Amino acid sequence: MPAAPEHNPCKTLYFQVHGLQPSWVLQEEICSPEFRLSPVSSKHERQVFYDTFDWHAFEKNVAVVKKKNAVSLISLDSGIETESEAFQGYPASFFSSDLPEGAFREQLSAVSQIRAFQKYCTLETFVRTYRIVDDNEKTIGYLISESLTVIDKSGRKPLTSLLSLLPLKGYQDETDAFRKLLSRHITLEVSMDFRDVFRSIMQSAGRQVQGYSSKIRLQLDPEAPVHESMRTLLIWALSIMKANEQGIRNNTDTEFLHDYRVAVRRTRSVMKLIKGVFDPDDCAPFLDGFRELGKKSNGLRDSDVYLLRQHTFFGFLPSFLKPGLEQFFAEMERSRKAAHRSFCRYLASESYGRFLHDWERFLRTGTLPDLEKAPKASLSTISVAGSSIRKAWKKVIRTGRLIGPEANDQELHQLRIECKKLRYLLEFFASLYPQKTIVPIIRQLKELQENLGSFVDYSVQIMFLHERLQTLRETGSNNLYPASIGGLVGVLHLKKEETRAHFTKTFRTFDQEKTRQMFRELLDNE
Amino acid sequence: MKSVALYSIKGGVGKTAAAVNLSYLSASGTGQPTLVCDLDPQGASSFYFRIKASKKFTGEQFLKGSKKIYSNIKATDFENLDLLPSDFSYRNLDIDLSEEKKPLKKLRKNLEELSENYRYVFFDCAPNLTLLSESVFAASDLILVPVIPTTLSMRTYFQLTGFFEANNLDSSKIFAFFSMVEKKKTMHRDIIAEYAATKGFLSRMIPYSSDIEKMGIYRSPVPAVLPHSQSAVAYRELWQDLLKNL
Repeated sequence: MPAAPEHNPCKTLYFQVHGLQPSWVLQEEICSPEFRLSPVSSKHERQVFYDTFDWHAFEKNVAVVKKKNAVSLISLDSGIETESEAFQGYPASFFSSDLPEGAFREQLSAVSQIRAFQKYCTLETFVRTYRIVDDNEKTIGYLISESLTVIDKSGRKPLTSLLSLLPLKGYQDETDAFRKLLSRHITLEVSMDFRDVFRSIMQSAGRQVQGYSSKIRLQLDPEAPVHESMRTLLIWALSIMKANEQGIRNNTDTEFLHDYRVAVRRTRSVMKLIKGVFDPDDCAPFLDGFRELGKKSNGLRDSDVYLLRQHTFFGFLPSFLKPGLEQFFAEMERSRKAAHRSFCRYLASESYGRFLHDWERFLRTGTLPDLEKAPKASLSTISVAGSSIRKAWKKVIRTGRLIGPEANDQELHQLRIECKKLRYLLEFFASLYPQKTIVPIIRQLKELQENLGSFVDYSVQIMFLHERLQTLRETGSNNLYPASIGGLVGVLHLKKEETRAHFTKTFRTFDQEKTRQMFRELLDNE
Repeated sequence: MKSVALYSIKGGVGKTAAAVNLSYLSASGTGQPTLVCDLDPQGASSFYFRIKASKKFTGEQFLKGSKKIYSNIKATDFENLDLLPSDFSYRNLDIDLSEEKKPLKKLRKNLEELSENYRYVFFDCAPNLTLLSESVFAASDLILVPVIPTTLSMRTYFQLTGFFEANNLDSSKIFAFFSMVEKKKTMHRDIIAEYAATKGFLSRMIPYSSDIEKMGIYRSPVPAVLPHSQSAVAYRELWQDLLKNL
């Protein structure tokens, strides 16, 4: 947070100061034969903290902080600014691609390219910086005194006063001697690093650091009735849906809808895969509802996918075909807007509200259903998890082995669906199994899924562009547009065939003794 | 990483002043991280940067390689400029080196480990010809020799090039410039006229100046304190010439 000189590789030490110390006192009080404080600057500064919805920057050990005319990356370990870039204004959110090309953008893109950085907290700081000078008039480090005030809708909340010590390279011992001198004058309460400071800032702003993750972090009890565990998992999936609604409405980035849809698919998929836990008559309307929900968001997601690949698609074509592609993406942009409006309308509708409300009430009902209608409800979670995973795995292997060397579209499409089902089950029940067995299995499966995923994506895109071409013929648009789409289809077809050619090898890697061994290890320990 | 050794067999020729001022210009001008290694037991460049050596630092640690070296590097008060302080135990560095299996390569090897962190390294060498100076020659990309335009100073320059030839060393690394030049002195003018075209001599000269002498009072590089002074301008031009040869 302090404006640390860039050439300093040392770690900053933060101390919370008891009460609000007027910092000018420091200069007068700290006067010894060995050290002297020399003021460098004092300034009021607004600092706005950004992170992605899923706290990617925090996970990568950096804070993204917007100050007056620049945005900076600050290491959470050291508190030192590692990179900065000129940047105007305090937008509610921005993408790494909004910044000019350069080292900063590169580092921010490494944190996340796809997710928006959202404004999380605004601080007003009063910062005084002093040089700590030894008896040779050599600077040994910096002392920075800050008072922090959190600003939010409800007003200003004085947060804390901090003193930070930043030793220059090679002057840790001297700075430590200075710290001892300082503590004779001021009660230095807790020694913290910047990560602690960051957490306390976020807490005061009402944000829970790493409060959202689309990864399942629930710990299930293997012996608990599966009815209870399923409800826990489905309630979690519901919470993910709800958490993402706002971001979808605000159009912040594409991943809100993506996480939302994955939660919907996970819900449907496990409900269908693990039968006999709930009363099927109770489930049917919900299953229908979730299918509808998926369908209603398909159009929006499809547009998102095309727009996200915009850059890649342009790279596929020679420059003279690009104007046609621009037209295509302009249309895509328009249809996305319409799809977004219509989906948001649905999210705001009474029927959607009622649907989620009923679903939640259903999930919160703890009493076991009628044994005849739901014979597995009271079985242990681990036994049901094991049998469902085994079944889904066998289905993947069976389906995959039936695919011949030509591997037609239909077959690959079907296998992709079976893989997804297996993946959802593995992730849902991952906490029941030892990490070292489940993690490599998921990794293996992921590789296969990537191959199949690309294949199906190419097929779907080719089909979509084909339809587009047909409507173009009817409307008789100019030549360049259909030519661009044609060019694109050609490239996508090539890519699709490449992926198909890879399939046999990828599947063989999955369907081998080692993987079988891993599954046996996983499932025999029930 | 590029390394420049400031070297002269003769003392008092403006070697340390050049090391301090050129390294400052390297750090502030190129904005690239620069390190000064004070290899002179008198520690004059450390003194100019107000840096005291840590008590524990010994020549032996220098030979052990990067970890020990890193922990002894100190930041100067100038951005991108660090210094490895001199220490009196350097007196024994030669003895330590002679116990190494490959003394001439040892220094270069240790330096390679610093190359991730520094773009330019300057050695401020002691005015003598020892095993340590030889390993500095081997480790440097360029050996820069300040020469006062006097007979004695020229003589030591030729002693150095003679030493290189006698020992089959790469003398194309040696560059010289006239230092502490006083144009009003006939002898200076004559010597410059006679030797300016000598192989390895750069055309830039550093004039004699009280600004440079006063570095001992400011304890700071001249271009940092008096950026527009004649001396600062001369060093800046010299540094530009050096960059072309690095």
